[in-house]
Amino acid sequence: MSGTKRVSLTIDGRRVVAEEGTSILAAAGAAGIDIPHFCYHPGLQVEGSCRMCLVEIEGLPKLELSCSSPVREGQVLWTANEKVREARRDVLEFLLAEHPLDCPICDKAGECRLQDYYDLYGRFPGRMFEPRERRAKMTPLGRGLILDRERCILCTRCVRFLQQVTGTGELGVFERGLGSEVGISEGAAVDNDYSGNLVDICPVGAITAADFRFKTRAWFLARRPSICPQCGRGCAIVVESVEGYPLSKGERRVYRITAGEDPAVNGFWICDLGRSGRRDIDERRHHRLLKRGEPAPGLIWPQAVAEIAARIRALPGPDRAARMAVVLNSRLTCEELDLAKRLFVDRLGLTRVFFADRKPGAADRLLITAERVPNAKGVIEAGFRPRLPSLEELAAEEVLLLFGSELAAHYDEGATADALGSVGSRFLFATHAGPLDRMADLVVPLAVPAEGPGTYINIQGLRRTFGRAVPPRQGVATGVDVLISLARSLAIDLGEAHAR
Amino acid sequence: MTYAPSPAAVLRIERTIALYPEKPAALLPVLHVIQEESGFISREAEVWVAAKLAIPPIQVGEVLSFYGMLRRAPGGRHTIRVCRNLSCHLAGAEDLLAFIGRSLGIGPGETTPDGAFTLVTAECLGNCDRAPCLQIDGLDQGPVSRESAAALIEELKAHD
Amino acid sequence: MIENGLALLPHDDRSWRLEDYLARGGYEAARKAITAMTPEAVVDEVGRAVLRGRGGAGFPAGMKWGFVPRGAAGPKYLCVNADEGEPGTFKDRLILMRAPHRLLEGMLVAAYAVGIPKAFIYVRGEYARIAVRLEEAIDEARAAGFLGPSVFGTAFGLEVVVHLGAGAYICGEETALLESLEGRRGQPRVKPPFPATVGLFRSPTVVNNVETLASLPGILGRGADWFRERGVPGDGGTRLFSVSGAVRRPGVYELPVGTSLRTIIESHAGGPPEGRTIKAVVPGGLSAPVLKPEELDVPMDFDSLAGAGSMLGSAGIVVISDRTPILDVLHVTARFYADESCGKCTPCRIGTRWILKIVERLRAAGGGPEDLDLVVRLAEGIRGKTLCPLGEGAALPIRALVTRFRDELERAVAR
Repeated sequence: MSGTKRVSLTIDGRRVVAEEGTSILAAAGAAGIDIPHFCYHPGLQVEGSCRMCLVEIEGLPKLELSCSSPVREGQVLWTANEKVREARRDVLEFLLAEHPLDCPICDKAGECRLQDYYDLYGRFPGRMFEPRERRAKMTPLGRGLILDRERCILCTRCVRFLQQVTGTGELGVFERGLGSEVGISEGAAVDNDYSGNLVDICPVGAITAADFRFKTRAWFLARRPSICPQCGRGCAIVVESVEGYPLSKGERRVYRITAGEDPAVNGFWICDLGRSGRRDIDERRHHRLLKRGEPAPGLIWPQAVAEIAARIRALPGPDRAARMAVVLNSRLTCEELDLAKRLFVDRLGLTRVFFADRKPGAADRLLITAERVPNAKGVIEAGFRPRLPSLEELAAEEVLLLFGSELAAHYDEGATADALGSVGSRFLFATHAGPLDRMADLVVPLAVPAEGPGTYINIQGLRRTFGRAVPPRQGVATGVDVLISLARSLAIDLGEAHAR
Repeated sequence: MTYAPSPAAVLRIERTIALYPEKPAALLPVLHVIQEESGFISREAEVWVAAKLAIPPIQVGEVLSFYGMLRRAPGGRHTIRVCRNLSCHLAGAEDLLAFIGRSLGIGPGETTPDGAFTLVTAECLGNCDRAPCLQIDGLDQGPVSRESAAALIEELKAHD
Repeated sequence: MIENGLALLPHDDRSWRLEDYLARGGYEAARKAITAMTPEAVVDEVGRAVLRGRGGAGFPAGMKWGFVPRGAAGPKYLCVNADEGEPGTFKDRLILMRAPHRLLEGMLVAAYAVGIPKAFIYVRGEYARIAVRLEEAIDEARAAGFLGPSVFGTAFGLEVVVHLGAGAYICGEETALLESLEGRRGQPRVKPPFPATVGLFRSPTVVNNVETLASLPGILGRGADWFRERGVPGDGGTRLFSVSGAVRRPGVYELPVGTSLRTIIESHAGGPPEGRTIKAVVPGGLSAPVLKPEELDVPMDFDSLAGAGSMLGSAGIVVISDRTPILDVLHVTARFYADESCGKCTPCRIGTRWILKIVERLRAAGGGPEDLDLVVRLAEGIRGKTLCPLGEGAALPIRALVTRFRDELERAVAR
């Protein structure tokens, strides 16, 4: 970048170039040299208390903290020589001496910095035989978080996160010396929409989430990136799932959603809404076709799509368009919206293409947007001008295609049932079970965003493409599959998008 | 009943706050005023102080728990603070502390059942040339012998 | 109390008041500095006096002042470190009790030199009653026009606030003191930045010890050369040596820097009591590694003590006699640092308590050489890795006690 001075230094004998003002730790990290650390976090202010990131800088008598020392031109430093390794062993030994041997029952096992660093930099036998401090091991903090004070290494990441990021400050450090402990003020539990990040940032298993505790093991989890669909921010997330062992063959479960990093969108954090979206991936999902609300065994979705195509073809001409309407939603990906535009508007000439979406909520000063859909800008880019239909408008149609059940959020169930009852044929493409299921002639199960791939454009206008984080269950189609199949069944050529 | 310090204390507190360019800096002085008046700082007092200084209540709690002289629970009418650091130890502080404890029937950190005395240990009171030393209600005493300690305690009991 | 005609402290406890202080020439040095010298000239004079900080670290006072950016806009503060907590040290108490005006006069000199209009005196909570007298002295000074918006009728003003601590040795560390003053837990800050640029309320701040400031009127009044020549090269002036423990005349002795430890103990403090011999001496407060009887000829200045493997620190001299088991000393030492550790950084928080647990066990139930080895190893583990010097102050004396009195300790723990 023009204007920012670059500094050249030598780390472990290698020449490294970094921007002036960067910490040694960050510069080394960018150059592929991992300096171990607990209290440092790029999203928080430097604390300098864990003492794990000490390095040797030529010319200085004492080891220096790499997290708080900026790079300097011509510096020569070592991150792994004898002196540094000894210092690391000492710091590790202190931490381990007062740490319970909970690994067999601790959720963090397999993704724990203390474990990892012991493996990399420790491997020494213990020589602490004095009784260890005993502390409370299951203190509820609020929002389903549980604090184990024996495991806590007092890195204060949790305390600093709540002070510096959310500004809510529910956690503090009480007492002094080895008696120090993290805690809440009596009666003032952790209660903010970003509480889940505390589990992510705790380097050990001191803070755990009740809804993940004892459910699985970190090493069974496949971690794949996706984009959160809960609001317009489109935060980078990581969907963590187990497929097969130790579940049954063919079984798939999403255990956790954690924060992905996207400097331009969400930095290092995601909100609790996004985390609770884990349930949307597994729970109350459609995975079988329904005919008039009842499971239709033996029917697979291409057949259902063919039936739908046949019904559309059966509309009396010449003006089919006048008798058919489609209700889309803003959770569809750009690819799906593009196909829908080509098929319904350009080729079929439909004029009535509506949108039914989750109602907006309150925005906050951090990540959560008022709009609770991930692709409102994608809808505009695809050429739509989204409008919620009235029930009267829908009632007059002969064929109605509904993508998603959000209509039910806007209208009374009885009135909706009446209105849809007047429609000739009603076809629903839905991800989750909902009140519209029994009102549709056919329900085709759809994949959720995590079962991707797709592209969203977020509220900032930033485009993000994501892959498939979990495979859809057998029988579940993506919106892209369904639209292409429908076009084929109608003998419509959608252009280059067709040849995906 | 909501807690509030006495009007005189509130006046002192407000004058104190005015001495600092930033209100939170007055926290320790304000806590001292409250502890002088009430003997300790209750949960309600914590909340009152937090509101007065526009700081989160948790900060008051953190500070209260950090500093050795601040009390979160009522203590005795008299606090006997016995130094047990080097010079005092050399002069027999361990024995003195045990003696006082036996006389009062309590251990360090405890308060006599009649609420008269709290016994606490201290680290170097800065009175080393008068070792072994102690403070009673903040007043330095030293050198203290078993006899003089007993006499001091008797005197306090008599005046109570 | 040896005077040497330097009159740092009056002989008795009655003449602390302003009128007595004025009769002894009080406030003349500050008047000269403020009305007849430039701030730069004052800084120079103090620099030439080679006045090293009297709180423990020994940093040259003039140099520290020079780090405050001159002409920096915005507030600046002077914080007086009256948190005297280094075990074996009780000289600041004496200055506060006997010569509060001398402190105030020194504060005037320092504040004028750096351009500071507001000072806080952080007094340890245990000195609350002493602080009452300090407040009275401030009132006297203010009434006489020596403090307030216009000192000596000039454009320079200084406001002083007395701030009581509440029982935490760590608050004697300058950045922990600032944290405490700002209404938080007394936990040290990462340096850099240093208080001279980012200090109290994020403003440039000078933190000076009571005795350091109380030395300034002498320097400004009698000149830098007078002060410097009383000491040794690199370490000027006289200083207040606190002497306690197994000596006949414990007390505070004002003597030239560089006086030998033996002279202080034997000639001034009377040596050990009848029938006892010296086994060990702590020369500079508990954080200074112990010296053996054959090492007592060391001159008491920063460089000589550093050369002897110890430190001058706060010049708190504690004499340990042959009657005291070193295991006791080790226990008291280990317990002090474990109790006073603030808990912020890993090595000190855990290391000091681990060492204490071992030593408590040794004292209660005995042990073996491997336990002593481990104590030394743990002290080494703390050393050089902590956020502030408390860790160093714990590690070095503990290591010294175990290595230098190894035989006695092995015999003591073998049961």
